[in-house]
Formats: sequence, structure tokens, C-alpha cells
Amino acid sequence: MASLTLDKVRKAFGPVEVLKEINIAIEDGEFLVLVGPSGCGKSTLLNLIAGLEGSSDGEIRIGDRVINDVHPKDRNIAMVFQSYALYPNMTVRKNITFGLEIRGVSAAERDKAVADVAKLLQIEALLDRKPSQLSGGQRQRVAMGRALVRDPDIFLFDEPLSNLDAKLRVDMRTEIKKLHQRLGATIVYVTHDQIEAMTLASRIAVMKDGILQQFDTPQNIYERPNNIFVAGFIGSPSMNFINATLINDNGNLAVSIKRDNDPIILTLKDAPESYQGYVGKDVVFGIRPEGLTHKRTGSDQPGSQYVNFDCKVEVIEPTGADTMTVVEIGGKEIVARVRPDRAPQPGEIMTFSADMSQISLFDPVTELRI
Amino acid sequence: MADIQHYSHDAGWKHTILRGLLYLVLILFAAYYLFPLFVMISTSLKSLSEIREGSLISLPRVVTFDAWTYAWNEACVGVECSGIKIYFWNSVKMAVPAVLISTFLGAINGYALTKWRFKGANIVFALLLFGCFIPFQVVLLPMSQVLGSLGLASSTTGLVLVHVVYGLCFTTLFFRNYYVSIPDELVKAATIDGAGFFTIFWRIILPISTPIIVVSVIWQFTQIWNDFLFGASFASGDNAPMTVALNNIVNTTTGVKQYNVDMATALLTGLPTLLVYVLAGKYFVRGLTAGSVKG
Repeated sequence: MASLTLDKVRKAFGPVEVLKEINIAIEDGEFLVLVGPSGCGKSTLLNLIAGLEGSSDGEIRIGDRVINDVHPKDRNIAMVFQSYALYPNMTVRKNITFGLEIRGVSAAERDKAVADVAKLLQIEALLDRKPSQLSGGQRQRVAMGRALVRDPDIFLFDEPLSNLDAKLRVDMRTEIKKLHQRLGATIVYVTHDQIEAMTLASRIAVMKDGILQQFDTPQNIYERPNNIFVAGFIGSPSMNFINATLINDNGNLAVSIKRDNDPIILTLKDAPESYQGYVGKDVVFGIRPEGLTHKRTGSDQPGSQYVNFDCKVEVIEPTGADTMTVVEIGGKEIVARVRPDRAPQPGEIMTFSADMSQISLFDPVTELRI
Repeated sequence: MADIQHYSHDAGWKHTILRGLLYLVLILFAAYYLFPLFVMISTSLKSLSEIREGSLISLPRVVTFDAWTYAWNEACVGVECSGIKIYFWNSVKMAVPAVLISTFLGAINGYALTKWRFKGANIVFALLLFGCFIPFQVVLLPMSQVLGSLGLASSTTGLVLVHVVYGLCFTTLFFRNYYVSIPDELVKAATIDGAGFFTIFWRIILPISTPIIVVSVIWQFTQIWNDFLFGASFASGDNAPMTVALNNIVNTTTGVKQYNVDMATALLTGLPTLLVYVLAGKYFVRGLTAGSVKG
């Protein structure tokens, strides 16, 4: 087990810079998730940590050891691949012990190690099968067994769940989380699924176009996204973005949203200092669906600041737990999360409550958080 | 309802006729190809006097293997009259090492070109591919000079070298195309497990290469065993391969033309390749198409 530090890491393929000065540091036992859309460089970053590709610049450290020029096999890491990469010609047992065998571990120790891992992952019955005789979920377990058996400093997971069906994916996700809690291992996990990122991570690194957008705990990323991209990428359904103006409304700052008849004025209490510079200017007002509900009062939830406004309902989408209610404000479709028993009918005029304690404001030009 | 039954009945009838036609054509083609073989076998089993009396397509009245034993033990190749057996073994001594070495090197090349991509790998592959299109005749003179300077002129070893060099382009192409479809993650996983270039090759890549090894072996064996030009050019006299000996027996101009011996010799020459196809044929098509569809 060890900490991991990426210090100003860059990677370029010829003239194309795929990673631009990445700085990430995690403690021993943390679960880091690298998340972003395809082509954002997250898998490349994982390959750099694994040593399967060389970095163009910067320093990678495991513990205090700089590993830039250390061969993958000497980095004391283990990796689980998206395609599992099980050796097709070997039995499960051989697959798991191959790394140990190469490292010259004695047969007796190997047998013990494989027995321990098989028990942990409940794959004892599969040990003498070939990978082609296993289901997707079983292959996934074997791939994890191959990583676990080596007892490495850091585990690397490259989209390990994306080849599984939806139900199995959720089950395996829980199992990976349990495994992490039991072993206390340091894990770096790559995914494009923001739900996986939120549920698994102790810290998330959101990436886009080779640039680290935000590196923080899941809750902070959810509540205080650095920019519009992060805000839109994390959370499902994603955050609503409405073009608005920040105004001074009788001494209080307020968000004003243009509408055909009358503007919606949403008053802000205890507005942060950083908002002052934007008074009278255009902003992008971001609010998550759960911040936009049926009419509520402040006593429903302490710390909330509810501001009410009326709006015509366009579409409703019941999900069971909540009813997603779509309204149109400022030419954009906005999703509100409404309790099913308070759900309106399409076409109805309904009073909504916006929880102004949970909002984000972004600069429309730089797209950064204000 | 009645209409539907009528139509399906009609379609079934058409179907049967088409099937029948198809089989007729196939049988005709098969006969067209098998007829020469039939003539060869039946002639080789006749005595010389029976060949002179009977017709080409008649079955032998008395089956005799005299021609086969004569061809094997006594037939005259040039002035030497000890049969074609020594030339048969010459061919074996040439073909087996050449097939094994060229297949092995092709596998290593294909593995390196796909899984350990180095700068200029594509250029190297393009040049190797270009080698497939060089006609044999072009390299005859330079090759004989090279063999001469290596001291391998007129030797089986020299022939092995020539066939390995010439076969390398094809075997590399086969293996490269096969390995392209094997996921790179397999090699990455083994690298992290601590295995190096050759360990990965022996322990992981080669064991899953059976279909393409079979393709390469069949292809190379057929090419090398059947080769006449290199054999006639670079090996002479006692070192000549089977194909050259066959030519010398059949094209001899003195004495009585022994058709039965000629046929037996030709069959003996063709037998090993036939055997390889029969034994490994089912892997051949499988291996050839293996790289084309991503599994």
C-alpha cells in the first residue's frame, strides 16, 4: 500500500498533447476515480501510472519512489483491464498465479495465495476452467483475482465494469467498494460513468481534453463544480443551466431570468463575495433537478433557502421515486424533481421552489464557477 | 390459406430443381478434377504390357505395385539407377527444417510487428510484404552468388536457407494479420505480471496461434515441397529434391517410356502435400478466415 503523486505530468504523441500538466496526489488507501468522456486522456494517464506508456514530462511517485523510468513489472502495481485480458490458453488457476510464477514464487506459496484469493472472490469452483468457459461476471472476478494475488502497492482498474450488463455492473460495483474497504488498498479507477465515479471514489479527478478539470471529493465536486463541464458531467439527470442576469433587488442580490411576460426573480441570501463583480452582468445559473421542487417552505429542510415562482409544466416523466417535471424557462427545457404525490399534469401552471442554497453561478464566457 | 400452401409447394419444387442443378455442376467439376488422378492411379497399377494393349481409362486387369517399388528403388535418375528414394529424403530434409524455421520466424516477426511496435514497424512490414511479390526468377543469380560465398552451393542447407528467406514474407504476413486481432491488453497484462518479450511469446501468444501455425505450415510445405526452380538451380546431382528427380525420370529420352513408373513417381511426389492437406485441411480455412472477423 502506498500513496500516489502525479507532479506536472504531461504526455504528447508527436505534436498532439494528450495530457496537459496533470497534478494529482492521493494518500495511502484512497480510491481515486479518473472520469471523463472518451478521448479525455484518462486511460492514457492510467497507462502512464502502470508504465505501459512513458510520460513526456513530469514526475510520477509511488510513496517516495519516483517511478518514471521503472519497468511496469517493478512498480509493484496490478491492473484490471476492460477486456479482462485473461490468458485464453491457461486455466483460471494458472491465470491467477502466472505473475507469481514469473516472479519465482514457490509452488506451495502460489497454491496458498490462489486459495486465499479464490475464497475472497468466491471463485473456488472455477479454478480449473478455461476463461472461455466463464461468464462475463466470472471473468471479471478472475481478472480481479489476478490483481489481488500479487498484493501490490496500487491497484489500477481500466473501465472494469463496462463490459457487464446493467444489473451485474451494479453488483460488481458494490463488491469493488467492499473489497476496497476490507483491504484498504490504494486504487486508481478509470471510468466514463459518473455514477461509478460518485459511488466508488474517495476522490474524483474529472478530465476533459487532457486537462484536469477538477480534483476533489465526490460531494464537493457535486455541490461546487469548478466549471460548466464538470457541473453537467456529474449528476444524473444533469444540472440545469439557465441564462440569467445577476441583479441588485432592493439590497439583495438576485438572479433574474428573462421570460416573455414577467421575469423570474430568485433572491439570494448570504451571496458569496465573488458574486459582487457580476452585478448587472449575464451569468449562467446552474441548479440541479433536486434543487427545483414543488412548493416547499424553509422549515422542510433546515439550511435551505426556498424561493417560489410559477411556471407552466410541459412534460412529466415519472421514475417511481420522483417525478421529473420538465418546464420551459428562457427557451430551455428545465428539469425539476417533484414528489410523485405533488406531481402536476402537463399544461398545468404550478408553483415551484428553487433552493437557492444549492445553486451554482458560472461566467458565460470562461464557463468557470463564480 | 390454400394460396399459401400452393405457393410454398411451388417454391419447394423450384428449390429441388435448383439443388439438383447445383449438385450436377459440382459433380461435373469434381469429376473434371478427379479424372486425371484416376488415370494416374490406374496407370501406375498396371503392367507396361497392359498399358500398351488397353485404353487410357480402363481399370487395371491385374493390380500390381511393381511400378511403385521400381520407382522407389530402381528408377534411373540420370545415370544413377537407385530409385527416387534418396531424392524423397532430400526433399524431406529440405522441406521440414525450412517449414519449421520460416514458420517460427514468421511468428516472431508477426508478434514483434503487432505487439511491440517500434518506430518504422510499418515500413519494415511494407518491405516484407513487398517481398511476397518478387518473382523467383529475379533472385536466382544474386542468390546463387550469396550461396556460393557462404559455401552452401549445391547443398540441402543452402536450399533450406533460400526457402526460409523466401517464405519469411508470407509467414510474417500470416502471423501479423492473425496477431492484429489478439487484444493488446493481453500483452500489457503479461508485462505487468512481469513477463518479457520471449516469455509472453512462448507462454501466451504461441499457445493460442494453432490455427495460423497450421495455415503457415500447409502453405510453406506446399510451396517448398513443390518447388522446382530453386531445387533445379541451387541443388544438383545427389542433393536434388524430389521434384527435380521426377523431372529427370519423366523427361528421360532413352529407352522405353515406362508410363506406369512415371505415374507412380509423380504420385509419390505429390503424396506428402496431399497428406498434409488431408490431416490439417480443416484448420486451413478456419485459420485463413480467423483474422478477418473480430471475435
